[in-house]
Amino acid sequence: MKAKTLVRAVLRHGVLLVFLVVGGYPLVWMGFSAVRREGEVRSAPFALPTQTNLENFSAVLASGGFGRAYLNSLIVCAASVLLAGMASAMAGYAFARMRFRMKETLFYLLLAGMMIPIHVTLIPLNRLLGSSGIGLKNTYWALIGPYVGFALPISILILRGAFENVPIELEDAARIDGCNAWGVFWRVALPLVRPALATVVIFNFLTMWNEFAFALTLISNESMYTLPLALWRFKGEHGINLTQTCAALCVAVLPVFVVYCFAQRHIIRGLTAGALRQ
Amino acid sequence: MPPNLTLRTPRVHHARFTPLAFLLPALLLYGLFVALPIGESFRLSFLRWPSEFGRPVYVGLDNFRDLLYARPVFSRVFWSALWHNALLVVLSLAVQLPLAMFLAVLLSYPTRGRGVFRTFFFAPMVMPTVAIAILWGYVYLPERGLLDQAIRWFDASFGGAWLSNPNTVFLCVFVTICWRYTGFHMVIYMAGIATIPEELYEAGRIDGAGEWGLFRHVTLPLLKPATVVSATLSVIGSLKYFDLMYMMAEGAPETSRELIATYIFRLGIGSGANRFGYGSAAAVMLFVLALVAATAITRRRRGTA
Repeated sequence: MKAKTLVRAVLRHGVLLVFLVVGGYPLVWMGFSAVRREGEVRSAPFALPTQTNLENFSAVLASGGFGRAYLNSLIVCAASVLLAGMASAMAGYAFARMRFRMKETLFYLLLAGMMIPIHVTLIPLNRLLGSSGIGLKNTYWALIGPYVGFALPISILILRGAFENVPIELEDAARIDGCNAWGVFWRVALPLVRPALATVVIFNFLTMWNEFAFALTLISNESMYTLPLALWRFKGEHGINLTQTCAALCVAVLPVFVVYCFAQRHIIRGLTAGALRQ
Repeated sequence: MPPNLTLRTPRVHHARFTPLAFLLPALLLYGLFVALPIGESFRLSFLRWPSEFGRPVYVGLDNFRDLLYARPVFSRVFWSALWHNALLVVLSLAVQLPLAMFLAVLLSYPTRGRGVFRTFFFAPMVMPTVAIAILWGYVYLPERGLLDQAIRWFDASFGGAWLSNPNTVFLCVFVTICWRYTGFHMVIYMAGIATIPEELYEAGRIDGAGEWGLFRHVTLPLLKPATVVSATLSVIGSLKYFDLMYMMAEGAPETSRELIATYIFRLGIGSGANRFGYGSAAAVMLFVLALVAATAITRRRRGTA
């Protein structure tokens, strides 16, 4: 009996390890190739790096425009996350606590946004924001608008649920102490839903940080490229050069992985909470 | 003596406009960047541009007719895109979810480095899809790619154009899609398994059930809610999928590489030609399809819940 459980445990770990090695290998290969020389990778793609060669990285940093892209991505994502968080907290609070006409209808209309493929809006947005429309293309606002718009449904859903769980006695107490509706929301309710707010922020930030279709459609000016666009252009120009492109991938991905390693519990919860709330 | 109930009476909001003030930012942003473009999509789907810079003319349902059957140049691609979306839905349900459940169940036993496995399996979810597309492009690269190089250990002259061959491109991209999302579904299943009370397993063991019996009669039925969540996300996600297919399959023939979302993009934005009307007609059909699927799923879930 004992032996049987042992065999099972070994088998189980073995299967998991096989998945880990096969699944993780492309990432390891990316890291190795980034520090190898092009000729070596061509002749022996699976070999280990013999020395740490940082030339690829300096080539990437010199040519890629990645510094600018990081800045652009940070500005767009920070602004969008802030705006989406604020707007959805206010709306979520209204849906949780206030009574008004057409509440249900409005809520479901907003919620429907989760099911809508963003790609339905690409052509109209391209025209409305383009030079024949209001001329916002190639500005930060061109991305912030749609990012916030499509972040709202899931954010409102999560935050409404959180506000509903705030003990109403606390809000009543504040109201008796003379707080108006805004005061109750801002000073009492909002601080109490911080965990949900963190979930919303993480979820939205990662989604926006990785977003590709809107950026590809609405940004064509290189100085406005977000990180995914800069990476895509780099591959278009230098894709033949495996080692340099792998270095560019590392530049784009490693910072996210570092943050992920430190905050993985929060990030995993943030990315799946949206799913689990449905 | 009941507690003082006056505090519990429904609060009257004296300012009638307070709810509106709280809702206004969200409604404005949603209306401007989601609702308005969707409405505009419907309008554009009835128009056609005779020349690049000319004024559009109203053509009624002609764009839809052309996409569906009247002009094979479009309809062949459109139906292939629809087929690929359907295939993606079915394959995601049939491959990703069982695999995710399998891994989650393995990890539910006492496992050394459980957290490490979870972290690594989930890691592709935080990677930008562009990075995944580029990296997997090197896996599938003809001759120099990792896949061909690995096959060459056994067959030295092998060389497959994985991503430009119409017979392989879809499956290759699908493997990459699995690589990205399986960890996500695994975490959903792990959360589901964590809610199953240990007593049920103990009771099952006392009744003489083996590990397979426990899985079959305890884990599997009690994971139904997690499966419903995962399946819902899979179906909706597969219907609107764009990223990896668009980025990885560029070199394949049109009828083997499009999903509806990528076809919308190529018609309305990527081509440079004045096909906004066709793209919008495809977009309207995708919108309706997604809405029908979503409504059907919510209905069903309400019914079974």
